[in-house]
Amino acid sequence: MSDKKSKLCEENHFRDFYVTNVQSATNFAYYKCGDGQAALDLVQDAFAKIWENCSKIDFSKVKTYLFTSINNLFLNTVKHQKVVLRYAKDAPNLDRHNQSPDYLLEEEEFRLKLSNAVASLSDVQREVFLLNRIEGKKYREIAELLDISQKTVEKRMSGALQILKSQIENI
Amino acid sequence: MKNEKEILKWFNNELSGKEIEDLKRSEDLQTLEKINHYASQFEAPEVDIRAALEAFEARNHSKKEPKIRTLNYKVFYRVAALLAIVSASAYLLFSNSITSFETSTAQTKSVTLPDHSEAILNSVSKLSFNEKKWAVKRDLTLEGEAFFRVRKGQAFTVSTASGTVKVLGTQFNVKRRKNYFEVTCYQGLVRVDYKQAAIKLPPGKTFRVINGTIEEVENFKAKKPSWLEQESSFDKIPLDQVIAELERQYDIKIKTEGVDTSKLFTGSFSHANKQIALQAVTIPLKLSYRVEGKTIIFYNYGVK
Repeated sequence: MSDKKSKLCEENHFRDFYVTNVQSATNFAYYKCGDGQAALDLVQDAFAKIWENCSKIDFSKVKTYLFTSINNLFLNTVKHQKVVLRYAKDAPNLDRHNQSPDYLLEEEEFRLKLSNAVASLSDVQREVFLLNRIEGKKYREIAELLDISQKTVEKRMSGALQILKSQIENI
Repeated sequence: MKNEKEILKWFNNELSGKEIEDLKRSEDLQTLEKINHYASQFEAPEVDIRAALEAFEARNHSKKEPKIRTLNYKVFYRVAALLAIVSASAYLLFSNSITSFETSTAQTKSVTLPDHSEAILNSVSKLSFNEKKWAVKRDLTLEGEAFFRVRKGQAFTVSTASGTVKVLGTQFNVKRRKNYFEVTCYQGLVRVDYKQAAIKLPPGKTFRVINGTIEEVENFKAKKPSWLEQESSFDKIPLDQVIAELERQYDIKIKTEGVDTSKLFTGSFSHANKQIALQAVTIPLKLSYRVEGKTIIFYNYGVK
């Protein structure tokens, strides 16, 4: 293991690790704070922390370490903002063939409702929900990243779905 | 939500198309289906990885630990090297642990070998062997003279500068002095490797080489060498060898004046009394001797 630890301290290996994970780490930070620039800053700080402590970190746990660091840095430094997510351009509707104006408008409305509903989720629910939805991560993978149990992930996901559903249907 | 478990599975992409259909029939999932679909269209800002990396590296972070680590490694390597050297040398010392016994002038010593074979060292002799390997190889190195009583077992080899003696279980005497090599067998069978020749000695036979010449020696009847009884016996041995033996048994120096030291001597001298011993050697050869401090000078009888 010390072999791999020292690898993390080598610039080339660290750079590989950085390039592989910077996007998903920034996404994660973004789901928490809802600010792209702040998210990237958090991530840079977290990577810096890993680089400084490269000799102490177990390589197999470094990804978890990265996400935990981001989480902690976020709690310490960034003020909660309303996380309003944007949609990808040209995102297709559920029914691609229905081009009637009514349907299109309806779907547009739904997107807005969903966006607002997501913003009202708690931090932990939102991060699980978005990691699952946007990044297509399995509950097991999310559990590993956040260093929590899969049961907890499922619980948060379920809670998120219930809130979203009730919010959307009530409005 | 009724089918919470199934819904969770659905969002985790663990349900097949048919299972999703079943689920939809049992519960109104219109909203959840839309959530499922539209939530995955959210977009996180894309990171320009190259720029981010450059910015990151521009921060010029200091790595705190590695310096200490290299130092630790150095110490570690040093300690490891030291340990390796110590253990290797210890191993060599032990595995090649040579046990040796030595006698000085006028001294004999009885040595019991690991297999209870016995070796008795005559004066000014040295016997050494590898105690660790003894169980596998009964090899001894001898300088000087010793009598062996060998227990039966594997080959028992006595190496000397002049030749080697191999036996299985027997009693024999090996005498290796300057220009002198003699093996006497008292019991069993002894094989002597001398130069290229291998000579087998039955009991009562002696193999003797003086100044590189193999000598004919008459059979004897003794059961053990005379030196074990505090006496040195000689059978047609050149005087210089007898003198050398005298010097070893008594702490003296012997010089000769006009004496032919190649004269052969037959007889014996005691290890108990120096005067009697000197007389026992000189009188039969028609010699006289005088004492000058620690040195004794032999000269021809009647010559001043």
